[in-house]
Amino acid sequence: MAAPADGNGKDPAVTAAVVVLWLLLALFVVYPLAMLFARMLTDHGTFTFAGIATVLTDRHQIRAFWNSLWLGLLVGVIGTAFGFLFAFTAARGKLPRRVLGILDASVLLPLVSPPFTTAIAMIFSFGPRGLITYDLLGMKGVTVYGLTSTLFSEVLTYFPIAYLTLRPILAAIDSNIEGMALSLGASRWRVFRTVTLPLAVPGLANAFLLLFAASLADFATPLILAGNNFPVLPTQAYLQITGMFDLRGGAALSFVLLVPALAVFLLQRYWVSRRFYVTITGKGAGQTPFDSVSAGARTVLVGACVAVALVIVYFYALLLYASLVVALGANHAFTLQHYRVIFTEGLKAIRDTLIIAGLAMPLGGLYGILLGYLVTKKTFFGRRTMELVSMVNYALPGTIVGIAYLIAFNDPPLELTGTALIIVACYIFRYGPTGIRATVALLQQIDRSLEEASQGLGAGSGTTFRRITLPLILPAFFAGLGVVFIRSMTAISATIFLVSISWTLITVKILENITELSLGPAAAFSVLVVAIVFVVIAAIGRLLRVFRAPGAMPMTSLLGG
Amino acid sequence: MTDKTIGVAVDGVSKRYAHRVKGEIYAARNVVLDVRPGEFLTLLGPSGCGKTTTLRMIAGFEIPDEGRILFGGNDVTGLPANRRNIGFVFQNYALFPHLSVFENVAYGLRVRGQAQAAIARDVGEVLALVGLGGYEQQFSGQLSGGEQQRVALARAIVIRPRVLLFDEPLSNLDAKLRVQMRQEIRDLQRRLAITTVYVTHDQEEAMAVSDRIAVMNEGSVVQEGSAEDLYHRPATEFVARFVGRVNLVPGRIAEVAGRGGRVAALGSVLGVRLLPAGVAAGDRVRLVLRPEAIAFADPGSDPAAPAATVTARTFLGEKVEYVVDCGGESLQVVGYNAGAAFVAGAAVALVVADDVVTVLPESA
Repeated sequence: MAAPADGNGKDPAVTAAVVVLWLLLALFVVYPLAMLFARMLTDHGTFTFAGIATVLTDRHQIRAFWNSLWLGLLVGVIGTAFGFLFAFTAARGKLPRRVLGILDASVLLPLVSPPFTTAIAMIFSFGPRGLITYDLLGMKGVTVYGLTSTLFSEVLTYFPIAYLTLRPILAAIDSNIEGMALSLGASRWRVFRTVTLPLAVPGLANAFLLLFAASLADFATPLILAGNNFPVLPTQAYLQITGMFDLRGGAALSFVLLVPALAVFLLQRYWVSRRFYVTITGKGAGQTPFDSVSAGARTVLVGACVAVALVIVYFYALLLYASLVVALGANHAFTLQHYRVIFTEGLKAIRDTLIIAGLAMPLGGLYGILLGYLVTKKTFFGRRTMELVSMVNYALPGTIVGIAYLIAFNDPPLELTGTALIIVACYIFRYGPTGIRATVALLQQIDRSLEEASQGLGAGSGTTFRRITLPLILPAFFAGLGVVFIRSMTAISATIFLVSISWTLITVKILENITELSLGPAAAFSVLVVAIVFVVIAAIGRLLRVFRAPGAMPMTSLLGG
Repeated sequence: MTDKTIGVAVDGVSKRYAHRVKGEIYAARNVVLDVRPGEFLTLLGPSGCGKTTTLRMIAGFEIPDEGRILFGGNDVTGLPANRRNIGFVFQNYALFPHLSVFENVAYGLRVRGQAQAAIARDVGEVLALVGLGGYEQQFSGQLSGGEQQRVALARAIVIRPRVLLFDEPLSNLDAKLRVQMRQEIRDLQRRLAITTVYVTHDQEEAMAVSDRIAVMNEGSVVQEGSAEDLYHRPATEFVARFVGRVNLVPGRIAEVAGRGGRVAALGSVLGVRLLPAGVAAGDRVRLVLRPEAIAFADPGSDPAAPAATVTARTFLGEKVEYVVDCGGESLQVVGYNAGAAFVAGAAVALVVADDVVTVLPESA
């Protein structure tokens, strides 16, 4: 399979690795999707459009389709605006380092939380017995469920992606360009409107598409908050399968979801993300040599950021509080009962989740760095295709991947449902691509002269890889590890289809608790997950500092995807 | 420091690339070089002339499509870079960012399996040699450009390479440091007597460091020689233009006498000591007149001398630069006698000594 190109292709180790990776990708990416299509288009062995036709003619499902797009659009626009607000304030607001750190930390919270956290906090605050609606405002009989609360919750959860996407772009816009415009007599507002904003447009488009995709794929938030009157595709597909045991209908619904998701992914990857490398040049983020923001505007910006950050912090504080009282809204007596519950009844879920995350983490990290290295540094047949295929499970909404796995691995010869392996495999191929992207990005920053310098000094290719290349891409490895672990702790959309009596997950337990209205244990579980994730992020941050390397990207920039 | 100084021969080497627009192009075409043991040879030329490709083929980073590379008479064409025992200094220094200065320099010694004590001694010695004693535990990010360059140099020479190769090593430094570093490189090379090939596009740098310069253009070596050879006796118009400033004046052979003769140019007839072989009276030629080879005299002092008018005068301290108009031909002239005042508009006679004019045939 490997073609000799730069002398590396003949390496038998490379050939073996390429073959193994192709087999794994075929089994865990291509095969499940093929089975999904097959299930959608066949009925007991005969080809039929009946499955997809049922979905496309069902008015309820068509509404779900438009609802998904509408929600995605709103989340994209509002989330990008929030992200820009934070990114602009961070890049141009001349904030003290400490303040910036606090803002960053609060913005990070939603990204590393289990999926239901803001949703639970929404119910606690705005539900029928919500702290704000009932206790504070004395409103009775309010329903929290619907578009508004889903939108609010998703914006809060996903706008940090826009922030992390836009911040480096705004920082990279040479502030001398703005200074130039200012010196030509333009007002600050005019400079912002005619220089800064236009230069940020590709970044804004990118952020919008990322948020649109995130909202389109979000399963957990609408499941809790959307209610019956605002159906969206991922939850409809889930209900079709778990409620009506209709796999074909679920498959057809995920196909309907797949089309816009894929379109957005391709648009983002091959059009927008390519554009801004051309637009943004110049040196890194230097201190702004002049005040690009007036004092008044700065106050407004910082105030707005602090307000948003406070809402997030309030939500998490509320969650922590709810986990420590008997019943939020009814009985505020301190208790550790909920933690007792999760560490007894819920212990199996905690143990299973940790085992699965513990297995997926090193394997996913290894997978990411290996595939990233091969597609960047080696030449072999199907290299570009491999890179693209490796991104598929990452790009697709989790619901689709979960249903595809369910269909593909439910029957012999590949009967894997009910095992830990299927969940681990799902996480590796769904979240490993973050490590791939990090590896590729780092390798592209490493000038080939470094490897040539090593070679010129007498080192063979093995020594060069071990002593030079590997240490330099270790940050990508740790980043990959971190993301796979965090997602393994917090994901639900794909794996909710794959859990079983033998292997279950904390996130699934949280969902069960919410549906049983045991919100206390749900809050306790969420707090636990956030705590574990923070410990792991801190550990990886420390590792990254130990293995110093240039261009080591901060962990946060990897969570955006 | 080297065990035995060897020469390097580049024997008819070519390297082709597939170019997206132009199709197949030669990065290097039939390059022939003979670097003598201990010699400092510079490949000089504009970007894209093939000098870096040639250097990388000597290093073993590129494999030639045709021709051979010989180290001390041994064919190393197929030998990978890690087995050629070379010291290579990159334009961007290529310091390993995750290793300290000490570990960067020690890298080649560790690869060679040297004992720790010997490594510590050698690294210490070579760092002292390049003036970086005490920098052992620094990382490349903490060093200035000049310091990084010295580390790269130390790393290249500590392994006692048979050949030292430089790829535009000074182009990332500021002008003052460049002058200082090129002198240091030259001194070090003399002291170590390592056969050296150096690539640059800066003719002044090439003249300052080299024993010999090979000027390259479009993949081929167009002329080889000492700095003086190239400056005073350029073989082609390209070399004349690339090395130093020049006036290229059209002329016609008036008379051939022995190896020299007379050339009609600038509305006058100039004596020339050396004409290209094979020219005959009436042939079109071009005269290479360096700005400092032209002197001014009072108009009318010699009726046969070309008459000109000063059109611009720039005082530059130790010299004065003039632009003169001579029968429609605009010429650059440099005068070092600051006392003589020729102002813009002054009429002058041009004096050109017969031994400083190079004549190029029309085709060169």
